[in-house]
Amino acid sequence: MTATLAFASLSEISSRLRNREVSATELIDLYADRIERLAEESKAFICVDIEAARGRAASIDKNFDDELPLNGIPYSCKDLFNVKGLPTTGGSQVLQDNLVHEDAEVVKRMNQAGANFIGKNNLHEFAYGATGENTLYGTPPNPYDPSRLAGGSSSGSAAAVGFGLCAAALGTDTGGSVRAPASLCGLVGFKPTYGRISTEGVVPYSWTLDHVGTLTRKAADAGLLFDSLASEPKTPVQTSLHNLTIGIPQSFFFERCDSEILDSIDALMNFLHREGAILKPVPMPSMEFTRAVSLAVQMPEALSYHNRYLEQRGHLYSRDFRAGLALGQCLLAEQYIRGKRFIETYRNDMDRLFAEVDVILTPATPVIAPKIGVIEVTVDGYAEPAGNAITRYTSFFNMTGHPAITLPCGMHSKGLPIGAQLVGKHFGDEQLIDIAQQVESGYDFELPLPDLG
Amino acid sequence: MGIRDQFGSYAWDDAEISELVDPKLGIITGFQELLDQLEVLRKIDLEATPPAGDISPK
Repeated sequence: MTATLAFASLSEISSRLRNREVSATELIDLYADRIERLAEESKAFICVDIEAARGRAASIDKNFDDELPLNGIPYSCKDLFNVKGLPTTGGSQVLQDNLVHEDAEVVKRMNQAGANFIGKNNLHEFAYGATGENTLYGTPPNPYDPSRLAGGSSSGSAAAVGFGLCAAALGTDTGGSVRAPASLCGLVGFKPTYGRISTEGVVPYSWTLDHVGTLTRKAADAGLLFDSLASEPKTPVQTSLHNLTIGIPQSFFFERCDSEILDSIDALMNFLHREGAILKPVPMPSMEFTRAVSLAVQMPEALSYHNRYLEQRGHLYSRDFRAGLALGQCLLAEQYIRGKRFIETYRNDMDRLFAEVDVILTPATPVIAPKIGVIEVTVDGYAEPAGNAITRYTSFFNMTGHPAITLPCGMHSKGLPIGAQLVGKHFGDEQLIDIAQQVESGYDFELPLPDLG
Repeated sequence: MGIRDQFGSYAWDDAEISELVDPKLGIITGFQELLDQLEVLRKIDLEATPPAGDISPK
């Protein structure tokens, strides 16, 4: 069993399982060994359940069911997802004793599809923050540079796949918390149309903005997971890049961006043009107040959920999350409602724009993975909090609810991955994934594996 | 008891409330800016636009 298999795509692993080239038990042994060796280094897991996974793998091997689309695939999930018999901690001292007795809907669906759960991933406490810093469980580093962040808030999910500790992971994305860490770690991050993957049984952060998403090595893997997880599976579409109209935002999404990231996106645009795609500059809605709108909605919603714990356990929250909740307390009901009404205008604006284009292309992030512990990053002489920078290009689409996928498209001279983001129409999830697959298979770029010693 | 005193609230400590308006810890750094922006948004007429809800196929 080679380490290379640990970095194989879900699709390849599935194929090897079906061809009996590898057994489900051998796969679990491979990942269990790597988790044991790299647990401290990666800080990817809050808990693992290897013995239960071995038991399931033995059953899978005994009577392998080819009909199950994810049969034998080892996966992990962010520790916001309920898994029967395990605590859901939210990465927080507050929920250390929160033993749950029913699986989250997506965990049920993964299991029904034959996937083999191996553990729960570290995260920014209760998904509050994009740096993935966690004082209780440590900060997952980037697999390409241990001095830098994996990114968050699904930091452990990104580290788990990035360090080759599982084939795929589930995360939540409220402002980019799947797509951004996936991109910083050289993975594919996908969030669906708002509501198409159930959030039932997942600790909420903001009901209006939360999406369940996937972190995988390839876009095809995201498609395989989506087929099993989506509430309304549709027939896969066949899209051609030829004559595909790709919107290129005229403002905001290419501003205050690392020049090497812009170069990589330029190279990707040249490829798309050569393939016959039509690149169309598009005016975006004003982004001037989008962060204010997002905060006006998310912090009162977070406070509303966490009120159930504040009186008895308020002292157990980390200082930064308490400050955020206090902010939620200081906003008016009218400001919250107004925020939700602005979100409706953003959705309408984007729906009008999508009448003219099939997808929109942006960089995934304006920066490469920041150093661990850094408070601010500076691009083009403009300093901003690291967490804000990481999600600057992703958070808008949590408000509009459009499906979005990030995929690797280059390597920075500092040895870190660069990612692009494609955004699709509402309920165009399958088409978006299909387009991402075509970009991935046609574009002449192969991400090197991280050097993990 | 005045109306304001009857609004329930979790008892944030003084340091946390101070942090909102006079940040020293680098945690919440833009509360005043947020309030200023929300005030600008308050003055924009959204006509009868409803709050965002679920998204349905069209």
